[in-house]
Amino acid sequence: MLPLSRVTRRYGDTLALEGLSLTVPDDTYVSLLGASGSGKTTLLRLIAGFEAPDQGAIAMNGQVIDAMPPHLRDIGFVFQNFALFPHLNVADNVGFGLRHRAVSPVANAAEVNDRVRAALALVGLDGFGHRAASAISGGQRQRVALARTVVTEPRSVLLDEPLGALDANLRARMCDELRAIRERLKISFLYVTGSETEALTMGDLVAVLSDGKIVQSGPPDVLFNRPRNADAARHLNAWNIFDTRALDTTVPAPQMAVRFEQIGIATPGRAPRGHLSLPARYLAGEFNGPTALHFFRAADDSLVQVVEHLSQPRLPAMTEGDNYHLHFAPDLAREFPGAP
Amino acid sequence: MTAVMTDRAATDAPSPAKGRRQSDKRRALALLSPGILRMLLFMVLPMCIVVHVSFWAQITFAAKPDLTTTSWERFLSTPTYLAAIWATLRVWVIVLVATLLVGYPVALFIGLFVRNKTPQTKLLVACVIPFWTSFLIRVIAWRPMLGTEGAINVILMKLWIIDQPLTFLLFSEFSVLAGMTRIYCVFMVEPFTFMLGRIDPSVIESARDLGASFWTIFRKILLPLSLPGVIVGAIFVSVMVLGEFATAASLSGRKVNLLGNIIVSQVGSLKWAFAAVAGVVLTVINSAVIALALLVVDLRNEM
Repeated sequence: MLPLSRVTRRYGDTLALEGLSLTVPDDTYVSLLGASGSGKTTLLRLIAGFEAPDQGAIAMNGQVIDAMPPHLRDIGFVFQNFALFPHLNVADNVGFGLRHRAVSPVANAAEVNDRVRAALALVGLDGFGHRAASAISGGQRQRVALARTVVTEPRSVLLDEPLGALDANLRARMCDELRAIRERLKISFLYVTGSETEALTMGDLVAVLSDGKIVQSGPPDVLFNRPRNADAARHLNAWNIFDTRALDTTVPAPQMAVRFEQIGIATPGRAPRGHLSLPARYLAGEFNGPTALHFFRAADDSLVQVVEHLSQPRLPAMTEGDNYHLHFAPDLAREFPGAP
Repeated sequence: MTAVMTDRAATDAPSPAKGRRQSDKRRALALLSPGILRMLLFMVLPMCIVVHVSFWAQITFAAKPDLTTTSWERFLSTPTYLAAIWATLRVWVIVLVATLLVGYPVALFIGLFVRNKTPQTKLLVACVIPFWTSFLIRVIAWRPMLGTEGAINVILMKLWIIDQPLTFLLFSEFSVLAGMTRIYCVFMVEPFTFMLGRIDPSVIESARDLGASFWTIFRKILLPLSLPGVIVGAIFVSVMVLGEFATAASLSGRKVNLLGNIIVSQVGSLKWAFAAVAGVVLTVINSAVIALALLVVDLRNEM
């Protein structure tokens, strides 16, 4: 267990983290979803011990670790830019922690070699040990960075957008491999990402970080289907958020959210009876392969997105610049209480 | 149809890549030629002349172009001159180690602990501020520091640490070493700081995260990654210290004779052939030192 309670971190006048509380359970893949600048990296740096919180406490297995220097924390960190040691080859990079850690270093060269070989096999890099760290591809570097961290068997591993530097194909494959590797190791991964797809695919638990606070955390399906507030919904990139006043309804909540694919489109005045509707101007459509994404501008200038699955077409033919009525059944909407 | 026509055009026309390569080569040669010309005229040619003159016959106040090895024989058989070679090498090694010991912590601080570029630049500029005064002033300024009634002796005596002034401080090998270390230290600091500043901070953080203590990180990461900076700094310092004569002349009280001092005094008494011999010996030592340094680190790969 790695609980963080009311952690605050300031940089000058900027509040990077504001009273953040989060618990990383044992043997779990936790995804931390947040936009750039939301404090994701700061949070990881606090847990790893590169920085200390201004307020609050970080504990590990019941012991507060705020005063503990990073090299004694037993927490692995996989950097966004991998941060391999440029002057060492792959095997020496992976073996660095075993050989040179301050606490119980492994002196036996044969044991180091065996464990390095096993770690490289785990990440699918058998036989790459002799290569220079600067002479391998981006995806391989990412694996070396991961192997270098997990070979020391840390209690948890923090991953700072480790797939950001990879191309889309490799990213999808590494997603699966990271999950598989974690399941074999039975340790916790705290995986920071700005991509909702990665967060939802990989996490056993997804936490949404917005403006230095966790706005919601839970299993991916619960989070995706039932976001608890507008902040969480916005990060999932699947929900339109409406100001309730624009919708001609008596619902007291100030904001409502509807999924992109649950909005219907009708010519003005033809919205089904009982549906909530709002007028909007059609801006443009985007063809994405299996789906099409349509953009509308509502009267209050907000942007509304509508998704159509092209295998089951359901939308009428539309002309850019024309006005339509967007409508949805009231029971499909999530209502968000509190300030917008 | 189109494909066939393109194929023919491609085989007939000269290869664009080949043309580009040739024009690149021509341009490189054109850009290099002023430098090469200058080196040939003002370095290679004079060096050949110096070697040639070292074999001339020396008469009292002139050298005649009759080839002989007399000057070489005299140089290599006179204890004073052999001692000068030895003194030059000894001073070089000690000053090199001293600049390293004094410079490394400074470079470590500026390059590693001051991560912000603006204060980093300011500190580096502060290191060269002493260069705003003349070299001679910087050397002579050591006299009121080290003399028998100089600052150090006065302070030590006032503090009752010594009751007699320390005489080895000035006009000794010690004062030469202190003066040179102080003057050449900055040439060690700058390339070193540059290399340390280029180390990605996350590389150091990841080493910490993997459990390494600061001392281990220093030995296993910082030292190897900054080695090219050490070598560049060492080359700077070596070249300058090996050819030094002014510091020794003004701080040693004639007790330390370096190869540079011999060249100066021989040229002063118009012993051209003999000065040339000392010059050739110095050049050989210099080249050997640089070759040695370049053997340690392949600078082309590292910079």
